Amino acid sequence: MDIIGQFPLFYFPEYGSAWMMGMTGTIHILVSHTSVGAAMLFAFLAYKAYKENRTDLYPYMKKYGMFLLIFSYVVGSITGPGIWYTATAASPRGISALIHNFVWVWATEWVFFVYEVIGVFVLVYFIDKIDKKTHLKLTYTFAIASVGTLALIIGIISFMMWPGTAAYYATGSASDAFFGINTFPHMFLRIGFMIMMSGVIGLVISSAMKKENAELSQELTKKMGYISLFGGFVTMFFFMWYMGTLPDNAHAVFNITKGSVIQTRIILAIVFSAYFLIAILRPKIINTPIASIMIAVILLAGLWPGEKLRESMRKPYVAGQYIYSNQIISRDVEGKGIKSELPLIAQKGLLKVNPFVPERLRVITDENKLEVGELLTKMSCSNCHSLEKTGVYRPLKDRLTGMDKEGVKAILYAIGNGGMPYMPTLKLPDEEYDAIAEYIASLKY
Amino acid sequence: MDASVLLALRDPAGIPFYPVVFQALYILTWALHAAFVLLALGSMGLSIYGTFKQKDDSHWKILTPHLIQTGKLSISILIVLGVAPLLFTQVIYDPNWYVANTLSGMWVFIFIYTLLVGYILYYWYYYANKAKEGGGKLVGIVSFLVLVFAGILMHNFAVTSIMPNEWMNMYAPNGVVDTSGLTFNMDIPRLVFLVSLAIPVVGIFLQNYSRFLSTREDFSEDFVKYCAILGTKIGAVGLVISAVTFIIWMIEVGYLMNPLTIATIIGVLILLYMVYTNVNSYITTGVLVVVALLISSIRELIRFDIMTGLGYNIYDYPVNLELPSITMFLLTFVIMGFIGVAYLLTMAWKVGKTQGVFDGSKDKAVTRLGNYTLFIMSIWMVIYFGWGMVTLFKNIL
Repeated sequence: MDIIGQFPLFYFPEYGSAWMMGMTGTIHILVSHTSVGAAMLFAFLAYKAYKENRTDLYPYMKKYGMFLLIFSYVVGSITGPGIWYTATAASPRGISALIHNFVWVWATEWVFFVYEVIGVFVLVYFIDKIDKKTHLKLTYTFAIASVGTLALIIGIISFMMWPGTAAYYATGSASDAFFGINTFPHMFLRIGFMIMMSGVIGLVISSAMKKENAELSQELTKKMGYISLFGGFVTMFFFMWYMGTLPDNAHAVFNITKGSVIQTRIILAIVFSAYFLIAILRPKIINTPIASIMIAVILLAGLWPGEKLRESMRKPYVAGQYIYSNQIISRDVEGKGIKSELPLIAQKGLLKVNPFVPERLRVITDENKLEVGELLTKMSCSNCHSLEKTGVYRPLKDRLTGMDKEGVKAILYAIGNGGMPYMPTLKLPDEEYDAIAEYIASLKY
Repeated sequence: MDASVLLALRDPAGIPFYPVVFQALYILTWALHAAFVLLALGSMGLSIYGTFKQKDDSHWKILTPHLIQTGKLSISILIVLGVAPLLFTQVIYDPNWYVANTLSGMWVFIFIYTLLVGYILYYWYYYANKAKEGGGKLVGIVSFLVLVFAGILMHNFAVTSIMPNEWMNMYAPNGVVDTSGLTFNMDIPRLVFLVSLAIPVVGIFLQNYSRFLSTREDFSEDFVKYCAILGTKIGAVGLVISAVTFIIWMIEVGYLMNPLTIATIIGVLILLYMVYTNVNSYITTGVLVVVALLISSIRELIRFDIMTGLGYNIYDYPVNLELPSITMFLLTFVIMGFIGVAYLLTMAWKVGKTQGVFDGSKDKAVTRLGNYTLFIMSIWMVIYFGWGMVTLFKNIL
């Protein structure tokens, strides 16, 4: 029996399971970027405090550190493995590909991560229990360890978009997969964002200090304004560079929403530049509610759509441009001995090669056709589209409203022949196309 | 489940190093993770008792916030240490890991937020207790229950993963596919045993705690002695409970006469003697680590036997040797990891032993370890960028 390594399907109605991963991912990105940015800021402040003997900065660092500890490490350390866990449920083979390519890179990141987690407690709780010089050294190592975690994860998430060079397919080597042409632009884009986020969070803390020490609060608010502005500039600069390193299928998806994406980014850039300029020029105006609202704006208007876009631009792939979002291997990777599963599926059909199809559904009959159609549609489409009439995650109804069975089938044929660059080229035997089309038509979108 | 299916579920990329290494790393890191899970549960459970006692009892007034703090740190550490066994298990046991996660996909999602809510509530409990003696009782109890629930969910994933013969029935009961991801399985003896270990672990922790504080002049001798006796009582009673539940679990799975089981029982008896006499709790902790490794090995043995019985042998996993990345890991782990963590822990130990401010710049060991850590990390960064640039130049020019 020819079998491919597909796992049971987990489908969350209306939203789709990938959406659940996106939610956890967005929260994680906010907190993890904040924590790395804050680690760099910590080092900068500790240096200043030590060199200029500014004892007034230590209480600020302690306060900032406590916030960082709770906000970033509690939420970040849970949502980090959380992305991995939920992604496993939603895209098992995508995660598997990452693990099997990069297990040692991940294990290396874990070493940095252990240092960071112990380090953050030491850094915050010992701020007034150890001498300033030792504390300064500690902040330096902590900052490098934080950047180290970024340096290690960035190659892995860049690989999700694509390996960046063709070398990987021939050698199968982890370093060829890790260091693609977009790895470094991606890294510095995120470092810019981290610097900006450290300032944005810093503004919450500095504005909260107004009552205790108005003068220091103003000075720090100004500083955070400069830091954020600088971070924002770095982000924009490398974002443009990063976009230039992406593959054609990413641009095909990007072009669909290009106009509105650019417009939103311009508005966001103006709003945040104004916010940072106010912090620099009129620090008194910045108060805690405003500073907190700006974090929510970044989360909802900046990160959520940004991450959604990045995830969309990977399509039809979920990892390395050889695994489709619907968990099918679509090309050979010689260096790893991986074979495309498309020819086998085209010949035998998904029902025969997926080990988790119940026996009674392996052969299509008049009685089970709709049930099989539903299962095949879920297996093939539900990682990117919600199927329900009221579905919210790239719903099929938006594409197929009012279409009859033959119309749906025509689209399936087009997809199967590679007619849409952002859809998986998935050829199925005619009876499986037929069952899918019959099921979708029965939903009467 | 058919062997051909299990083998097909392996990742076609193969694994980048020998399977036995991943297996050993799994056993080791799971034991470390479990140790902090148990310490977190034990210290939090005991701290809740403390919140009721601390108003009228001077010993509990000191001990309770310390237990809360221990629980708080342990949760953070258990999370970070938990990442490693997750990583290593899915490299060699793809079918088990991925099938369990997809079958329980909804629970996976719930697990993350359960843990998140439980830990945030824990911070609330911590601050409420800090603000007022005996404060945050209710939040503490709720947080404890939420975190225990997270543990039960994790238990579900582990149990589901070792039931390959049932997977198809779980996914498609009576041939009807269920994609809800709500599969839930429990093995009560196994769960009760693992949770019961929290009692002896917190007992031994208390013995260590009293031993550590015995050199500090700002803690009364009376308090130090009280903690030691309390630790001995809790540790001894806990070990007896764990031993009984362990035997019940081993009878259930049919491993009672296995050499590893017998070694574990002997280990527990030695521990019981050591806890009871409390001559040197640091050595007791060392034996506890050995026993934890034995328990971790039994867990792995059970899974290994189930899988080989079905024709899935991890030692046959195709290896695609990947030398650069393993070298990076080993060097980072051994050089940076050991020196870096030694630096932090040495400092923490010395700060804990010092009244007032600890001057690390005058301490040879701390200064040296700090300098080495900083140097190694900087060199690491240089190598990283160098490696990246060489790879890119080679591939794009």
